[in-house]
Amino acid sequence: MNAFFAQLPPGLLLQVLAGMAVNLQIACLALVIGLALGAPPAFGRLHQGVLGAISAGIVGLMRATPTFVVMFFLLNVIPPHIRLFGMSFTLSGTMIVVISLVPYSVYYVAESGAESIKQLRLNSPLAALLFLPNLARAFFVLVMASSSGAAIGVHESITTILRQAERMPVAGDRLALFAMGALLFGITLQTGFVLVDLLRRYLADLVTRRATVIPMVDRKELYGYE
Amino acid sequence: MPTPRSGVASVVGPLIWLVIVLAAIDTSPARAEEPEPPDGALTQILDGVHAEMPVGCSKSDVDRLLRVLCAGHIRIGVRSDYPQFAELDGTHWRGYEIDLARAIARRLGVDVDFVAVTPVNRIALIGVDRIDLAIASIGDNTQRDEQARFVRPHYYESETILVGARDLPLSSWQGAEGKTICVTVGNGSNAELWSHGARLMLFGEPSQLLDGLRDGTCSMVAQDNSFFAGSFAQPDFAGSYAAKLSFAPVPWGMVVALDDTKDLAHALALMTQIFHRDGVLLQMAKANRIAVGFLEQQETVWRRPDCNTARGSNDPACILPPLNAELQPTAFADRVSAVETWLATAIGLKISLPMLETAAAWARLQSGIMNSLILVAGALSGTLAVALVFGALLGSRTKVVQWPMRMLLIALQSTPPVMALVIAATIADVVGHYSSTTLIVAAIAALGLINGANAGQAISEAIMTHRVEPISRNLSELAIFTRGVERAAKQIEAFLINAVKGTPIASFIGTPELLNALTDISSFSSERATTYWLLLVFYIVIIMLVVWLCAGLRWFFHRLSMSMPA
Repeated sequence: MNAFFAQLPPGLLLQVLAGMAVNLQIACLALVIGLALGAPPAFGRLHQGVLGAISAGIVGLMRATPTFVVMFFLLNVIPPHIRLFGMSFTLSGTMIVVISLVPYSVYYVAESGAESIKQLRLNSPLAALLFLPNLARAFFVLVMASSSGAAIGVHESITTILRQAERMPVAGDRLALFAMGALLFGITLQTGFVLVDLLRRYLADLVTRRATVIPMVDRKELYGYE
Repeated sequence: MPTPRSGVASVVGPLIWLVIVLAAIDTSPARAEEPEPPDGALTQILDGVHAEMPVGCSKSDVDRLLRVLCAGHIRIGVRSDYPQFAELDGTHWRGYEIDLARAIARRLGVDVDFVAVTPVNRIALIGVDRIDLAIASIGDNTQRDEQARFVRPHYYESETILVGARDLPLSSWQGAEGKTICVTVGNGSNAELWSHGARLMLFGEPSQLLDGLRDGTCSMVAQDNSFFAGSFAQPDFAGSYAAKLSFAPVPWGMVVALDDTKDLAHALALMTQIFHRDGVLLQMAKANRIAVGFLEQQETVWRRPDCNTARGSNDPACILPPLNAELQPTAFADRVSAVETWLATAIGLKISLPMLETAAAWARLQSGIMNSLILVAGALSGTLAVALVFGALLGSRTKVVQWPMRMLLIALQSTPPVMALVIAATIADVVGHYSSTTLIVAAIAALGLINGANAGQAISEAIMTHRVEPISRNLSELAIFTRGVERAAKQIEAFLINAVKGTPIASFIGTPELLNALTDISSFSSERATTYWLLLVFYIVIIMLVVWLCAGLRWFFHRLSMSMPA
């Protein structure tokens, strides 16, 4: 075991954590863009006719777009320096990963958003509030998916772990390192899930306290706790 | 009466004459056929051309050598950004190729005009008479041989080297299997890398490889050793990185135009021969701190009596052949080209389909599509199987079964897909032999576990809801399970689609699926736009098909749960 730890450079944990910050940054950006671009089709899905069909088509296409392929498409087809509306942009590796995650983000926001609006219209604010924990869940999915940036050399946490693993000749040591990486992700994600659950409970509590439309409600039956 | 002495003398005398005559007969032809050294032949060519001056200077369609000598200067195309070989530092040119260009001009007795060329225009500029000669790190291969005249002997030879951090354990091709190697598109040696199981990451410019190596984007890069000469001359780079493997040697040749250059090419060939023989090129290389292995070998070759002749540069035993870079076309390559041309002229759509034009690319494309479809089918069935098992065990009434499954679920949910694939590939490598099949199996297992575990959780939650509902109290365990699966159908569908969307990630561990196949094809065809558009469309169509199939599956589960007896 000591031999295993002796192989690890002193600053590895910090590097992995710095990489994880990049994962969070990528997920944040993808979610924000997804919220902006997913809102119109979310509203559009509530309509019948052409608008509804177009929105459904967009959402369907976003759902079917594979993140990893989009990433390679952007890397190989779009020039790294682009001019848009008179401004120049440099498409960094991190931005490529962000953009590749946007289709999923748009799809998720549009689907959950449409469901939430529907629930609000049905006078069910509690069900509508599920949009927030759903959004948090999407955020964690995006954090996990952002690790695909390792394939194009983005300096996120998995890249750091894989670079270190390449220097380890024994497969067992590499697997131990991967397990440590998974543990770090696990702690972060499970903490996130607990926080999301707490947020959901808090919001539910808040809404039921203010609610006047459903005064007689068995909270245990509804939320699973009193 | 003749005495015996006089008898002997009468025999010896004619014998001596016979020996003298025979010796004369024996040696005369040999002297006549003694090979002419290249020095004399060169002088002869130059003298012959000088004799045509100045009358020949005003004539058209004369050899380029006469034009150069008449003009009093030679226009030589050189790179301006190739450290150690040809660099422009302000107004000062320096490097191995610059020294060679100057030595040639000196021997011709003319001044030299350097013209900066790039890999893109270096041969084209010869064709449009902007330069007389190119000494610009041009690899001599059979394809280029049709576009310009290569001067042989070659003045240098490069090979592709794989460069990585010094502490990176890699000493054989086996270590490159499944590893990501950064390369430039269009590099002829890329095919050899992917044939050894390496995964390629493509870049447009060689300088991007150095940036990638330094900032950690690439852990290994492959490029000409000549490209790294400047970097390895820097102590900090040499201290951090090393060449791990070398392969695909390519001889470099000076290049002149195809027409009216017979004399010029011959004179240059003789000069190169002499420079090799006398160690001139070797000294230039040492002065510019570049690899000298090839030049030492060539010095030995051109000192050999059979090569040190005016005809040595035409002798296959002395010169190196051009690298065979011809790719066998497919049987329908002509029709593909016709379609490309028609699209360009009829509707202005410029597309290139290199994957259909050469036999190697076509074979790679076919196997890529086949492997991708196997992966998709495997990921779907793997996800479904794992989902059902996880659903049954997590939804079990026995805590002893439930808890280990929950721990496993948390572990799988906490592992990013890329890492799960790398773990699966590492285990596959330990357990079995590293091959396409084991990688596909590993990828299916990883994708099935990650997505199936999540879908299984949804099934178990649906089972729990059925258990507390009064309407399900009289149902058998099997019926509850089936109804649970039906209730979780939407979630199962979502994770099946996720599994299919995740199949291209398998390329990260070197699985020979479509993304990897098309990246490999792009790496030697230089075409990327059409290739990646097709890839994107392929996967979107596949995923839409899976969505449609999943709708059918949901209907099937619904029917199944309804037909299940209580």
